[in-house]
Amino acid sequence: MKILVPTKRVPDPDQPLLLNATGTAVDLDGVPSIINPFDAIALEEALRIREEDRAANGGEVEVVAVSIGNTDCEKELRIALAMGADRAILIKVESAVDPWVVSGLLKALAEKEQPDLVLMGKQAVDDDCNQTGQFLAARLDWPQATFASKLEFVDGGRIRVARETDAGTEVVSMPLPAVVTADLRLCEPRYASLPAIMRARKQPLEELSAAELGVDITARVEVLEMETSNPKRECVRVGSVDELIEKLRGAGALPR
Amino acid sequence: MKILVVLETQGDALRQASRCAITLARSAAEAAGGAEIEIALLGANLAAASVAASCYGPVFVLDHDSLAEVTADRYAAAVAEIARARGTDLLIAASTSQAKDGIARAAALLDGAMVSDASACAARDGRLVWRRRMHAGSVLAWVAAHGSPVVVTALPSAFSPAEPSAPNAITPLAIDVAALPSAIRFESVSVGTTGRPDPTEAAIVVSGGRAFKTAEDYERLIGGLADKLGAATGSTRAAVDAGIAPNENQVGQSGKIIAPNLYLGIGVSGAIQHLTGMVHSKVIAVINTDEEAPLLEYADFALIADAYEAIPELIAKL
Amino acid sequence: MDELTREIYGNIGTVSKIVFYLCAVASVAVFAWGIWRRRQMWRIGRDDGERIDWRATLRSFCTKVLSQRTVRRTKRKAGKYHAWLFYGFVILFIGTCLIAVEEWSHRLLGTDGTNLFHKGLYFVIYEIVLEAGGLLFVIGCAWFLVRMLRKGGGDTVGYRKADLWLIGSLLVIGVSGFVLEGMRIIREATPSPGISFVGWAVSRGLAVLGFRQENVSWPHFLTWWFHSLLVFAFIASLPFTRLLHLVAGSVNLCLVRKKLGRMVPISVEELEASGKTGVEHLHEFTRTQLRSLDACVACGRCTDACPATEAGQPLSPMAIVQDLRGHFNVIAPLVQKARRAGTDPALIATPRKLHGDVISAESLWACTTCNACYDVCPLGVSPVDLITDLRRFLIGNGELSGPPAVSLQKVQRSGNPWGLPARERFAWAEGLDVPTVKTRPDFEILYWIGCSASYDRRVQKVARAVVKLLDLAGVNYATLGPEERCTGEFARRMGDEFLFQEQADSNIEVLRRYAVKKVITHCPHCLNSLKQDYPQFGGDYEVVHHSVLLSQLIMEGKLKVNPAKTGPVTFHDPCYLARVHGTTDEPRRVLAAAVGADALKEMPRNRRDTACCGAGGGRMWFDDEPAKRVGRGRIDEALATGAETVAVGCPFCLTMVGDGLKAAGSTAAVKDIAELLADAIGD
Repeated sequence: MKILVPTKRVPDPDQPLLLNATGTAVDLDGVPSIINPFDAIALEEALRIREEDRAANGGEVEVVAVSIGNTDCEKELRIALAMGADRAILIKVESAVDPWVVSGLLKALAEKEQPDLVLMGKQAVDDDCNQTGQFLAARLDWPQATFASKLEFVDGGRIRVARETDAGTEVVSMPLPAVVTADLRLCEPRYASLPAIMRARKQPLEELSAAELGVDITARVEVLEMETSNPKRECVRVGSVDELIEKLRGAGALPR
Repeated sequence: MKILVVLETQGDALRQASRCAITLARSAAEAAGGAEIEIALLGANLAAASVAASCYGPVFVLDHDSLAEVTADRYAAAVAEIARARGTDLLIAASTSQAKDGIARAAALLDGAMVSDASACAARDGRLVWRRRMHAGSVLAWVAAHGSPVVVTALPSAFSPAEPSAPNAITPLAIDVAALPSAIRFESVSVGTTGRPDPTEAAIVVSGGRAFKTAEDYERLIGGLADKLGAATGSTRAAVDAGIAPNENQVGQSGKIIAPNLYLGIGVSGAIQHLTGMVHSKVIAVINTDEEAPLLEYADFALIADAYEAIPELIAKL
Repeated sequence: MDELTREIYGNIGTVSKIVFYLCAVASVAVFAWGIWRRRQMWRIGRDDGERIDWRATLRSFCTKVLSQRTVRRTKRKAGKYHAWLFYGFVILFIGTCLIAVEEWSHRLLGTDGTNLFHKGLYFVIYEIVLEAGGLLFVIGCAWFLVRMLRKGGGDTVGYRKADLWLIGSLLVIGVSGFVLEGMRIIREATPSPGISFVGWAVSRGLAVLGFRQENVSWPHFLTWWFHSLLVFAFIASLPFTRLLHLVAGSVNLCLVRKKLGRMVPISVEELEASGKTGVEHLHEFTRTQLRSLDACVACGRCTDACPATEAGQPLSPMAIVQDLRGHFNVIAPLVQKARRAGTDPALIATPRKLHGDVISAESLWACTTCNACYDVCPLGVSPVDLITDLRRFLIGNGELSGPPAVSLQKVQRSGNPWGLPARERFAWAEGLDVPTVKTRPDFEILYWIGCSASYDRRVQKVARAVVKLLDLAGVNYATLGPEERCTGEFARRMGDEFLFQEQADSNIEVLRRYAVKKVITHCPHCLNSLKQDYPQFGGDYEVVHHSVLLSQLIMEGKLKVNPAKTGPVTFHDPCYLARVHGTTDEPRRVLAAAVGADALKEMPRNRRDTACCGAGGGRMWFDDEPAKRVGRGRIDEALATGAETVAVGCPFCLTMVGDGLKAAGSTAAVKDIAELLADAIGD
């Protein structure tokens, strides 16, 4: 069984963000990066599927991590390898990508790699789109299960997934191959420390380009301008409940 | 320009979030200098809902028993077919979990031009642009989508629900439901214990600490306020330890990390472990009797008052 | 006076003597072989380059083994009786050797028939001393036998069935020795038998039972053989029983040099060579550590002192050592065989794996590294050392997840465990005119703030108090400002050696840039790291706890203070200050100055015996259910003193004790000694 885990490199959410000179993108210079937390959860789940033999195939599971971006992504791929992924693929793209481009690249890769399952985070904590997994499933014409909080393998090459929805926890089942996007509650990712990362350094990374995959990387969504909103908070003392409500409505925090 | 708004139902009524999506549609129509707004409704037993929906625009209904439980592949295929059939230029839905699941898939079946969680719409250089949050809310961006149709999901908390007007026509859609994909099989749904949203997902989180003497008080006051606001409840480790609040609610370094639009900390002192769990909230408001509580230094608004008095007043006045 | 003597080997014929000496040689040979075998087993471990410093070893032998100091420190009663047993044994042993010397010297010098020196005044002194020794020995054995029969009587000491036979045999050896003496006195009608007062009393008793000079020879002979064979059995069996601690234990106690709170670094080269950190297989422990497994006698002192055990966590230091020892007995022969065959010992198939089967990860993570176990062990065994080495493997193998792992990641990215922005590290000092290395470049002492005081609002008050006091006293100090990063102390104790080294390298570079020589800090963990960890990477500083400097300033009159009137105050000694660094007087002096010596109420476990608050070893970032939270018992202890204020000297203790008091519903306040002093001085 092969599980493909897209792992996106995102800036560390703890770091205060500054914009670039033109205000069209975040200035990532000097900002530490991490694997998108939801992708790390997906990767952890894939690793556990292998370690716990949940697919009941003797643990014969290949976990392949894939990142899309420039060579900076190699760091996150090494961490994925350090956590336990068997292979790591970098699809080299220099320009900014959106869910459409990413899903196109992943689709081409999936057609090449023929995984049984694509397991990825429900959204990336930088763009917060929550679209890529769904786009990929549609384009592959595979069933999808988003916001997964539990993943089980059942007989007949099917999976049963518990999903976190507004209505509560929904359980669906579907045949493989499928796309599953991970929610926070799926599992807790393991910590990859330096020894593991150093071991991973010896493993080769595979590189592909968009051209090799035959994918057009024109984005459908363009960011026109950005503004940051992490100013220092100045605590305003209010004197009454009425004043509090008024201030909160004014700040757009409460619906009118 | 033709706008299609896909609505969701809750029983026989329309979901409030969907009505917020209509507000965005109207805003987009205005920005575009006028547009036709059509409504799409998919599901089962939609007679009453169709009537309600028709007060916002002509309704196109796909009413079939097999659509009672929404599965993404079937729903997305149906929505895409409807959009194509209606010649939609702009497809709008409320950004609910169903829309994130199904509308996003539909967008990929269409032209892949999607903007999620839009909180505003404007016209710029002859095209529509959309505002959305990124980086867990610390960045606000204006984006443009290239393609047709453009699919936009609306952030419900950014819009007030649209007011209905005079009823319009209701047209059943002739779509071969049996031919829709059905690989995904719905099995069951279990409602959460409180029916309240999860603190990591909710737009508003009402959080309580050790100021509450009993679990009953916590549920009555914090729970009551949360229900009034449709918010999630949160708590501190101290409150969970004291048995006042359930463990699933714990916000903090060893609990849930949240970044809602509004974090309302009542009787919460704001010890550093708790702080790191909610410091990225967009607006932080505090009600506490202690002027020296650390949380005040991270708050935007603070009311020095007793929780037991302030909360009932707040519930009454909201 | 010279008639005061006794015949040696009286009633023992030549054949017996020959057989006796043969048996002696045989038993010593078995003993030596047994010890040798154990030593070879220890050598399956890593060579840590331990070289014997004979002077220091001899000194340790005198101050630790001969004085019996370590075994008497805790479990005082058992320690006392052990000392009696020990001294008694030593006296009897030396005495027996002297007899042999006498026998062989008068035989070699051909003065058969009369003793060379074993007579006269020497004999009198000898007899008295040996009687006393024998008595001490017998009483000691009896006490331990009774304790064992009562199944410990609630004591945590660990026993096996065989140990009962062992102590019983020792007791029988002692008693039979006196019986033998009694019989000898009857048989030889020894002049002035009262010198051997116990033997004499026994002989009186035997006489009552009907033993007389005419009929005692055979019983004497038989008893002599019984006693001798038992002694030989004891000698031969020593390496195979609990008694191994006589050798392994005293060797360990004398050779062990490692100081409390210190850890051994791993180099990047070692990592590249082995591909892992820490101990995955037993043979990856050092030889010293494996030897320490044999030194342990399961006395239970470590478990008694362990705060995790007290809280009901699945950790017992004694169980860790004993479980490892059991595994060692199984594994060592297999490793030796593999090495002889030239195969990699790591590939040996064992029925039980070290991690998971023998030692659970749960027990490893429960440790706060308070070092009480190592401190209290009479034989120099360090369970905490074994634990951190095992933790190093777990971390390196990715077996940690959840909030504790997240804290490590945040330290790496933001330089503090909460992931708060690094550039806000100095925000606490806004508007306070706190000197930095940039604004006061000619500073003498660096005030190391630490992560807690930088970001935690409550702990910031401690830093502000210290700053106020230093300013008042006119100390020439500076802070690093926003360039300070987490020392990495807790990362190292959690087992993430390389994250720690990353932090250390970064901090050492900054400290070097500003030519820092002296450091003062209010955090004992930062203190320990800067003082003991950082020198391993080139950072050498004179580091003191703020209580030491404050105490000095008070004594020099640079800080004038009248004690404030407060309710009773108790001081919670921080583990890393009181136990690891032995600083216990200075905080009390500061307190006495701040609140008056009368206000101070000591908790039962104070100074070096302090009970951990539960935050060390990275445990601050673990979330325990309240019933099992390490340090709970300490809160109860503090409340029991009736104190209205609990004084602390560590930001971790401040948080843990504060939270604990609130959870217990107490209105008692918790304050750092600097805050109390600053309050007392006023404005």
